[in-house]
Amino acid sequence: MSWLNRRDLTLNGALIALIAILFVLSLAVGPAGIPLARVFDALFSGEGVAGIIVRDIRLPRTVLAVLIGATFGLSGAALQGLLRNPLAEPALFGAPQAAAAGASLVIAFGLAGATSYAVPLAGIAGTMVAIGALLAIAGRRASLTVTMLAGLALASFAGAAIALILNLAPNPYIAMEVAFWLLGSLQDRSTEHLVIAVPFLVASWVVLGMSARAFRALTLGEDAAASLGVDIDRTRQAVVVGVALGVGAAVAICGSIGFIGLVAPHLVRRMVNSDPARVMLPAALTGAALLLAADIGVRLMPGVVEIKLGVVTALIGVPFFIAMIFSERRMLEGSPS
Amino acid sequence: MTAESKPALLQARDVTVRLGKAAVVENASLPLHAGELVALVGPNGAGKTTLMRALAGLLPAEGAITFSGEPLETLGRRRRARAVAYLPQGHVFHWPMHVDAVVALGRYPHGDPFSTPSPQDRAAVSRALERTATTAFADRSVITLSGGERARVALARALATEAPVLLADEPTASLDPRHQLIVMDLLRQAARDGGAVLAILHDLTLAARFADRVLVMDRGKIVADAAPAEALSPQRIAQVFGVDAINVDTGEGIVPLARHPL
Repeated sequence: MSWLNRRDLTLNGALIALIAILFVLSLAVGPAGIPLARVFDALFSGEGVAGIIVRDIRLPRTVLAVLIGATFGLSGAALQGLLRNPLAEPALFGAPQAAAAGASLVIAFGLAGATSYAVPLAGIAGTMVAIGALLAIAGRRASLTVTMLAGLALASFAGAAIALILNLAPNPYIAMEVAFWLLGSLQDRSTEHLVIAVPFLVASWVVLGMSARAFRALTLGEDAAASLGVDIDRTRQAVVVGVALGVGAAVAICGSIGFIGLVAPHLVRRMVNSDPARVMLPAALTGAALLLAADIGVRLMPGVVEIKLGVVTALIGVPFFIAMIFSERRMLEGSPS
Repeated sequence: MTAESKPALLQARDVTVRLGKAAVVENASLPLHAGELVALVGPNGAGKTTLMRALAGLLPAEGAITFSGEPLETLGRRRRARAVAYLPQGHVFHWPMHVDAVVALGRYPHGDPFSTPSPQDRAAVSRALERTATTAFADRSVITLSGGERARVALARALATEAPVLLADEPTASLDPRHQLIVMDLLRQAARDGGAVLAILHDLTLAARFADRVLVMDRGKIVADAAPAEALSPQRIAQVFGVDAINVDTGEGIVPLARHPL
């Protein structure tokens, strides 16, 4: 019953160990292969070509993968907790698309450089509009049908906004750049990107983590949760702000990457007895491991052009989503609209 | 002291609740005393659930609702939650959590966000599980339970708060006869232990058998607040429910039996 019992410690410990292994692998893998034995040397001494590659190129990318993956996992778990629905995922509600619309507006029209705070702020603003509108439309009862339809509409609208920005982009090179960035990637991300993203990501973890207990009470429905002293309106606002901070900043840095928020909580939910509060930490850790693994994967795939990370997560995430719909079909058919 | 002169634990005075423009509850007044089980009956749409949600502090209402003389809205969320437990209709569990974790939610208003359960919390949860005879499936998922078992778990969650006032909205709906009686016995026990219990019921026979007092609601107004025999007379049942009823002697008292619609 307690927040962190022994089983949770084992689960979270195992996930942290997995992340640690993937972290080292991520420093070793890339066009210039560096033997595992030399990774630590290069990392700590920072000398020579290997030092530059590991420290300046692979380390920021790896840390970003961990932090952004964790943010997506946590955002998914939080949205699912609030809406009491395992199929909730920021990408299905247009959150990354809206963040991308906000951020690409700034990039395409040269309002600010790609590594200024204006980009994540625009991404956060875009996400806040999308998630805020979603919760406003879905209303207090948050029925599955209404939520999904509202999410579909918002995702389409954000897509249209991105198309409009590409359409009106002052020159084709910028349009091309935005289009590629939208595919989602951690390639060539620097410590500068990391510094910009971290405050927003950490703020999002704090805001979402504070609502963990409220999500648990919400398993009884909004009325019962409110009768137990949960401030429903504040919880909803916290989710809007938390998801916007996290997804907005993440998308501003790495472009549109989806489905981590859907897949990560699902993989660990049974191990915490479906407790929407206890699932948050392992969901974040699983998200980190997944994104890190995917980012190592894109570097291992043969080919001249590196496949974009967002493409990989969508290619894996969408079939996973379909499989989830399939397995939850009975529950979905029985659910009141 | 008689029930009337004793100070009420929960008191509503001239409570009016508007949903949109329509007044769904109009000038409802009622006292709830420690130690009594009160049934709230009335046809569908009479405003029973709305009144109960207002009494639980979940809806803004005109008039005054006080707990031990203190207005509900000045209590603050946590103190209100510790004072008034509310069991909504339907026994909903959105996640297939384990029974003990669900029942432990009743302790939500007693802890702070970062505390682990206190010995008092653990004891209250075990008591609630024991009283509802759900200890045996404490570590099972709620989706594996039957409707009757789920109803008992939902009630255990509300009891675990150990609030002086318990409001239960149709706690016996869609239960088999045995579970209806079990749930009513548990509510009566909660009252005998010193709680003030208000339960919305559709089964007038159950209301007459178990309740110390019956409130009858019709079109937003409380039209009777009396002992079961008086509140549920055949004349009033005909008037409020549009049903022909007779009084039947069960050997354990007289209860109304609805025969056919008028």
